[in-house]
Amino acid sequence: MKISRNWIKQYLQVYASADELKRAITFLGFEVEGVVNTGLPALELVVVGEIKSRDKHPNADKLSLCTVDVGPAHGGVRTIVCGASNCDAGNRVPVALPGAVLPGDFKIKQSKIRGQQSDGMLCAAQELGLSADNAGLLLLDPATPIGTSINTALPGGDTVFDIEITPNRPDALCHLGVARELAAWLREDIRFPEIKFRGEASGAPRPDILGEVSVEAPEDCPLYTAFSITGVKVGPSPAWMQERLKAVGLRPINNLVDIGNYVMLELGQPLHVFDAKKIAGRKIVVRRAVDGEKLTTLDGKERALNSRMLVIADEAQPLVIAGIMGGASAEVDATTTDIVIEAAYFRPQSIRWTAKRLGLSSDSAYRFERGVDPHSTLEAAYRAIDLILESAGGTVVGPAFKVGRDRPWQREITFTPEYIRARLGFHISDEDIRSSLEALNLGITSEKIKSNGVEWTVKVPSYRSDLDRPIDLVEEVLRIYGTERVPPAFCSGPALVDGDDDPIVRFNRKVTDYLVGQRFHEVVNYTLRSHKELATWVSQSAAEELALANPFVDDQSHLRPTLVLGLLESLKLNQSRGVPAAQLCETGRVFMEINGTVQECVGAAFLLCHNPKDRTWLARPEPDFYSVKRQVEIIAGEAGIDLAGQELVPVRGAYWGWQEGQSAAAGEMKQGWTVRFGLLNLAMVRSLGVEGKVWGGMFAILPGKLAAATTHPRYQPFTLFPAALRDVALVVETARHAEQVRLALLKTARGITGPGFALEAVEVFDVYQGKGLPEGKKSLAFSLSFRAPDRTLTDDEVNTAFAKLLRDIAVDGSMSVRT
Amino acid sequence: MQDTLSAILAKASSELVNLKTRADFEAAKARYVGPNGELTALMKQMGAVPKEQRPAMGKLINETKAQLQVQLDSALARIGDREIAAQLGPAVDPTLPSPDAGRGTYHPLTLVREEMCRILRKAGFTVIEGPEVETEYYCFDALNTPPDHPARDAQDTFYFPEKARFGNVTKKTPEEKYLLRTHTSSVQIRTMLKGSPPIRIVSPGRVYRRDTSDATHSANFHQIECLYVDKNVTVRDLKALLDYIFASLFGKDTKTRFRPHYFGYTEPSFEVDLSAQHLPKVNKEWIEIGGCGMVDPAVFEGVGYDPEIWTGYAFGMGLERLAMLMYGIDDIRYFYQNDLRFLKQFA
Repeated sequence: MKISRNWIKQYLQVYASADELKRAITFLGFEVEGVVNTGLPALELVVVGEIKSRDKHPNADKLSLCTVDVGPAHGGVRTIVCGASNCDAGNRVPVALPGAVLPGDFKIKQSKIRGQQSDGMLCAAQELGLSADNAGLLLLDPATPIGTSINTALPGGDTVFDIEITPNRPDALCHLGVARELAAWLREDIRFPEIKFRGEASGAPRPDILGEVSVEAPEDCPLYTAFSITGVKVGPSPAWMQERLKAVGLRPINNLVDIGNYVMLELGQPLHVFDAKKIAGRKIVVRRAVDGEKLTTLDGKERALNSRMLVIADEAQPLVIAGIMGGASAEVDATTTDIVIEAAYFRPQSIRWTAKRLGLSSDSAYRFERGVDPHSTLEAAYRAIDLILESAGGTVVGPAFKVGRDRPWQREITFTPEYIRARLGFHISDEDIRSSLEALNLGITSEKIKSNGVEWTVKVPSYRSDLDRPIDLVEEVLRIYGTERVPPAFCSGPALVDGDDDPIVRFNRKVTDYLVGQRFHEVVNYTLRSHKELATWVSQSAAEELALANPFVDDQSHLRPTLVLGLLESLKLNQSRGVPAAQLCETGRVFMEINGTVQECVGAAFLLCHNPKDRTWLARPEPDFYSVKRQVEIIAGEAGIDLAGQELVPVRGAYWGWQEGQSAAAGEMKQGWTVRFGLLNLAMVRSLGVEGKVWGGMFAILPGKLAAATTHPRYQPFTLFPAALRDVALVVETARHAEQVRLALLKTARGITGPGFALEAVEVFDVYQGKGLPEGKKSLAFSLSFRAPDRTLTDDEVNTAFAKLLRDIAVDGSMSVRT
Repeated sequence: MQDTLSAILAKASSELVNLKTRADFEAAKARYVGPNGELTALMKQMGAVPKEQRPAMGKLINETKAQLQVQLDSALARIGDREIAAQLGPAVDPTLPSPDAGRGTYHPLTLVREEMCRILRKAGFTVIEGPEVETEYYCFDALNTPPDHPARDAQDTFYFPEKARFGNVTKKTPEEKYLLRTHTSSVQIRTMLKGSPPIRIVSPGRVYRRDTSDATHSANFHQIECLYVDKNVTVRDLKALLDYIFASLFGKDTKTRFRPHYFGYTEPSFEVDLSAQHLPKVNKEWIEIGGCGMVDPAVFEGVGYDPEIWTGYAFGMGLERLAMLMYGIDDIRYFYQNDLRFLKQFA
């Protein structure tokens, strides 16, 4: 909200500069978002001068040579070169004398301009820091005495602070509130104009102006007061009031409207002024709107109301959306003579609900929403009445209406100064605590000596309902004592060594470290993706289950079930910008459906792109399925999952955007994890506009599945006796998986090896298909290593076992030994 | 005999120099000194040589054999040299660039997060994660946010439909709605409910605001938040932590200051400004960097901690903002576009 320094000065001696005030407001806890200075800054050596003569500059068409009288105190008449068109003889203008410093650190010196001596500068308004109007010299009143300081000739000027009031401090949404805070900071006293009206009507009762007030919804309007004034004269408000309203950005309208606004900005209590003759039946009803009821508010918009909204109505129709905005029908105008002033307290929740529902905010709603002090409602009405009587005349007539409770305010907080010190963690004397609190009108009402020291009770003023507990006073003391005075300290605390970093953190770290070490570039993409993308790449059901209720934009409406989509987007962006990008990786949360519920999972994924357009002078082999397979094995391994023991299933169809025949999956989210990898669907990648082939892998795991603590591996002894190696090639159906054959070899070998030795390892080393083999068959060559832990094997025993293995392996006819 | 030996030597010297492969060499060698080699044949004839001539003849053969061996050795060495030369290929041009990709890079947000975690670990903080999908209780209620507080508004917070079911995000009450967390402070509540004081955690993570994306706003961004709960934790301790963090991050000349502020879950509350000499693209003396305060007793009561015994502080800040300050980045969207020309600058 905007706070004018001149306005504040009505309540408070302010000797502080604008900068000091800004600092004070800041450290009181209100952020200063802007400072606007109006009027002249303090200017030394800028005085009023009269132009005595004007001649053309001999060497420049657009310049004039003026003689200017600045008064005997400043050396009398001097010559000044001027470029303005209005430097005519007889004009009185501001003259900056040599040595003056104008805004923008513009230093005035004696100088020669195109060969002519110039003894200062004649000034335009902008050069003095006044306005952007640079049309010519600032012409002063011809009666302004020559030689006077420009600050004397043009007094005034103001500083307006735009400050953010935190939601706990509705009391500071007015000048008096901010003045109270500044008074506490500056240790000054508040002087508030005496309020003369004390609620006594001076004329005879006039029920014909306002005859009745009834409140039908007291829960939303606990207090409603109304006063009638007859015989007011509508006209402009006093100049000082207009000045202040304009300073804080309000347009003056007329004395009645302006006073309503003025008192709200002064005391924080919104008021409403009705033209009494426009109140049908001379009766005010505070009621809930009827569903479908309509009211055209002052901003010209028709508002459809409902039965949760509170209105101020007359006999016939709603006149005002209570506490928010009036309708056009009962407003004061130039013909108004009798008025009704409303000062009320509305329940904040009710105002907030209605304002939000209607999408309608106003200065009044803003204050009621945050909470107005219900114990100063009447004071505000009285202040407004004083001002009306002063500037619009009229007589207050009865009956005055006051409907509802005005329970006396009573709140005290009991605490010890020791408690304040203990929470702050540094020493601050009892006296400093006491004076900080007293500066905020938190006077100590009682003092008891207890065994653990003194105990104080402070009385909380009614406008500070945010203060309720001793901890709230810690903040108050520190605010006034000064947060900048918290003494520095060494960062220390008792060691807390229980527990380690979260398993999620450790997993992400390990995976990222690994992939970055493998020359991947880590990227970060948004979590939210579009419906269309999920329906295309994942599934229709994912697109339904992962939807937000209230997305902000269409393309960010769903949680991501995979990181691959974001990675593809990053790849595409780089390609489209001509930036070669081959290896990208990301870790982050993904959301997967399991048995009808969505699970938040830990995810890791990467892409490898081979773009033929990325040319190098020396070709490297393209990545392939097996390059990504190794990467996912390692990533899954970081999560404690050994893919070697898992069944790898080829992907069918365009499942999650993978390419059939070129990709595989292992694990199910039902087991708590899944991995999918291989080539991304070529057609889909192409339709995205991504060039080249893209391989990738993704891994997802439930956070609970990540091992909480790592155990140390146990050392396994190994033998120094040599292995005996044999090779075998087996011919099988082309569709048969190598792993199946390998496992068959291992299984058959078990039991036929001789005493004390075993087939230690079987590794595929060649896969062949084509010439020399029947159609539909392939040959898989394996190297077998036999070993005994305690001796060197003899050829004979190995040969015997190997021969039997070759016989037995072919026995079911599904494979034959290639010879 | 002598002539034959000389002829063998002459033939060998003319033949061996032309050998190119190891196989040719072996074949040639066999022709001379193999079991059926010419020299071997001569040696076999020694028996027929008269006894008195044998020593001289033997000497002659041995000399020839030695000479032949020299020729063979040099032929083999030459072939070995050729093989190595063939293996080596032509000389490299050391000025040609490696076609392999350059080093991988960490995302700047990761770098800043890990740096913060490293600094905080030294001060005894453990890194904790919490769910990004949250409920109203953990995100708002438990943090002392009143039921009609604007932050809970569907205008500012992403909610899920009532039918949404999240299997591994626990709810406090069955009625409450799921949402995307608006701050990492929800992790404080989950941590306090799960454990018991003393607690000292740092929780970095992704948060969501329903907001227009522009140079300083993003639909999701990251926060990092510290919570310390113990006996006798004070405002001064909090200030000391912040001084330590920012001096570690930005250098010893870095200053911090507290401005009183309001947050529902801390009392007193402060906004933290920092001032450091060499931050790029900063033309203000003080820059707002985060919010902090002493844990509000109401929050302790909500998680079942006795506020008469336990005290604590909490501090939170935006990771993007920190990274922007640290590296002089002027648009938050760069973090999410992942242009490699951007990413490669922070390795």
